Amino acid sequence: MAGKLNVKIKPIGLLDMIAFKNLVPNRVKKLEAGSLATLNSLPNVNKLAGELHPKKQVFVIKEVIDEAPNVKTFKLVKKDGGKPATFRAGQYVSVRAKVGESVLTRPYSLSSSPKEAQEGYYTITVKNSSKGFFSAYVMENWKEGEELETSAPEGSFYYEAIRDAKTVIGICGGSGVTPFYSLAKAVADGAEDFNLIILYGSCKEGDILFKKQFAELEKVSKGKVKVVNVLSEERKECYEEGFITADLIKKYAPKAPYSIFICGPQIMYDFVSKEIKKLKLAPKFVRRELFGEIKMIDKAQGYPQDAFGKVFKLTVKSFDGEKVVDASSDESVLVALERAGIAAPSKCRSGVCGYCRSKLLVGEVFIPEDIEGRRAADIKFGYIHPCCSYPISDLSIELPPSQTL
Amino acid sequence: MSQNIKNYDVVVIGAGNGGLTAAAVAAKSGLKTLLIEQHNLPGGFATSFVRGRFEFEPSLHELCDHGPSDNLGGVGNLFKNLGLDVEWLPIPDAYRMIITGKGEEMDIVMPFGIKEYIDKMEYYVPGSRAKTEEFIALCQEILDAIGYIAASKGVTDKKVMMKQFPNFLRTAPYSIEQVENAMKIPQKVKDILNAYWCYLGIPVTRCNFTVFAAMLLKYLIHGAYIPKHRSHEISSALEAKIREFKGEILFNTKVKKILVEDNKVIGVITDKGERINTAHIISNATAHTVYSSMIEPACAVPPIAIKSANARRVGPGGYVVYLGLNKTAEELGLKDYSYFIYHSTDTEKLYDSMKRRGNDIIQATVCLNVANPGCSPEGTSIMSFTTLFAENAWDDVTAENYVKEKNKIAYRIVDDFEKSTGIKIKDSIEEFEVASPVTFANYCNAYNGSIYGYEPDSWDSLLPRMMMMEQDVLIKGLRFSGGFAFRLHGYSSSYASGETVALLTVKDIKEGK
Repeated sequence: MAGKLNVKIKPIGLLDMIAFKNLVPNRVKKLEAGSLATLNSLPNVNKLAGELHPKKQVFVIKEVIDEAPNVKTFKLVKKDGGKPATFRAGQYVSVRAKVGESVLTRPYSLSSSPKEAQEGYYTITVKNSSKGFFSAYVMENWKEGEELETSAPEGSFYYEAIRDAKTVIGICGGSGVTPFYSLAKAVADGAEDFNLIILYGSCKEGDILFKKQFAELEKVSKGKVKVVNVLSEERKECYEEGFITADLIKKYAPKAPYSIFICGPQIMYDFVSKEIKKLKLAPKFVRRELFGEIKMIDKAQGYPQDAFGKVFKLTVKSFDGEKVVDASSDESVLVALERAGIAAPSKCRSGVCGYCRSKLLVGEVFIPEDIEGRRAADIKFGYIHPCCSYPISDLSIELPPSQTL
Repeated sequence: MSQNIKNYDVVVIGAGNGGLTAAAVAAKSGLKTLLIEQHNLPGGFATSFVRGRFEFEPSLHELCDHGPSDNLGGVGNLFKNLGLDVEWLPIPDAYRMIITGKGEEMDIVMPFGIKEYIDKMEYYVPGSRAKTEEFIALCQEILDAIGYIAASKGVTDKKVMMKQFPNFLRTAPYSIEQVENAMKIPQKVKDILNAYWCYLGIPVTRCNFTVFAAMLLKYLIHGAYIPKHRSHEISSALEAKIREFKGEILFNTKVKKILVEDNKVIGVITDKGERINTAHIISNATAHTVYSSMIEPACAVPPIAIKSANARRVGPGGYVVYLGLNKTAEELGLKDYSYFIYHSTDTEKLYDSMKRRGNDIIQATVCLNVANPGCSPEGTSIMSFTTLFAENAWDDVTAENYVKEKNKIAYRIVDDFEKSTGIKIKDSIEEFEVASPVTFANYCNAYNGSIYGYEPDSWDSLLPRMMMMEQDVLIKGLRFSGGFAFRLHGYSSSYASGETVALLTVKDIKEGK
């Protein structure tokens, strides 16, 4: 430790002590000398933030295209006539809609390309699954001219040159093809520069989406895009049959390092994960899009079986007061809130984005290990992501307000 | 929704470091406190985000002024008094600095601890001991003087000041360079001492000496610390305390308007159209944001508020590349926690390069695992590379070319790091994310993406701001916390500002102001 300063700092200016005394008057003078020009309330950086990440986007359905039985593509244009927010091929938007008394959200990958957003529209492609409460609503209600609201583009299921291999094997099933359709278009129009080999699983030939479009993209991209259709319930020439296995991946993958991107229903993901393990790829070369809420929670590893089939009491505290609602053990806390008509924040519905972060005040929830996406400190301080937390006792939570419709 | 208008003793706008602390201290002091935050998380820049297997630290490199439990600094004591539940980890060394500029190449590692720092300086610059000791002793006097001023709540005894802190009085009006030159500090010693300049964000020719001296010495005396679970742990711990003290927090809600009547605060209006009554506001939103768009009616903005904002310069915007790597720090050869990599020792030149998105990019880089080995899964590590952009550097960027422009800088920074250290990291990148000034603007509503506050030129530095705290209250009941406020920027300063402002608000209320 150095001793007390025994040298006197030599004067810097002529009248240092006066300079000290003048600190305040000098600052007053400087501030007074400032201009009265209107302050810029929106510098370009902040303006750009608003354009790239709008709090909400309101669209009008311009066109509805039947892609296959039970599958429709909706072409969306901005209600205000502007361009939708730019995005990176592979990203999704969270659609918000009022269904009955409930405000619901659903994440949908954009099936349009970033270039098409420049041209003034997005498309999302929706499959009406047998159990899909929301998709049934969409099929019934989304008609030309109807309005709908979405979030800004979200998610990180996109190609990153510094991180990913030059060749991406896209593995998808059903409507999981949508982000790959966007990626393929971006590769074909030159917005993205990598090789994309899509292994696309469908039940039957008639279920294949964007078949003609993909064929065209293969041509236009000069070999950078390749699509291999894999049929599980039909045998046909020119198609692979069965499921997407390690052997099938090896058959189409190049020798050099390649990245695997997966997007599909949980059941496909569970199967494909086991196959990919056989390839012994480093984790950095395997990326997956989120598949939404876990179905059949009682089958998840570690689930406390005695909680199953029960209906618990969920006390919801918010700035506006307190409510007690039912929460069924087989549905997430978020779904319980939505069923009760309580507006709750949510986006990815897969435990990852953290937008639904809420304080668990009392009670216990089950969170499947492989979708635990919470921050370490949130675990420490008792926060949950209601979208992937399942009640296993009566609960009390503090719920933040949601974006209003 | 309840139709009753709600009333609070104090409304805090923004849950950044200053706002969180202000709300915790106000609530602890018994005020009916409401903290309103536009985002869904507490902390502002002090947060974390998850990508794949990694949880990243967005902004904190090293917390100054905390210290170990047996040698707590100001912030350490503040957190202790609040009873914050945070696990702290020490940073091993102060910094490694690499100068890549032709003819002035340097690669040095400086330790914490006054003796260790002086010894190491002597090792790099033989014969420098006496000068470095003198410099550090001056810094000590500055720190003691600030402590005295703070303890005397601004009412200082002139005689004590003259007798005990003559060099403080003498140096306070000057820049780092002016004081170093007056002391005839050798050039290389200056270059090594000045490494921390980027934490203040303006060249040593303009940056006030007092604030620099206090920061340097606090680092040397107390070392630097980080929370185990990224800075989100500090923010969540503060959030927990606010709740414990019966304060309320309203996330996902933006204060649209501050209602003013007869030059007095009377309430706020939120983006959900709700009116909340209060006579006291602590704004973590900057004066620029508040006076440009939040005061209702707009004619209630005092002209001096506009003049003051225009007279000051908003500090640089932040830019950070985050990498999740699939090799350990040891495997990659990363031995140091903190790397300052500059293309020159001339800080004016460095600052000038911050005004463009060019090829010369300064970086302050961190390998988190060196101080926090458990921060990522086994076999992996986390790095973050920070740079700064001043003024209009991002003005020509559009929504269409944003990703391209953003990534170009990231690639450049990672390249620069590899070249200047000889450490290869590119092949090990498993997760890659970038936060640009636009990102900070998006999540935190940061004005022009600034992660600092108003620039600390000598005329607008710590002392004159502290001495003018009451004069700077332009609308009755409206005080500011955070990096743009009177304690200047940086994590520890923002926490300290929150505490002081909350206590002043308590005093205002007691005195019926």
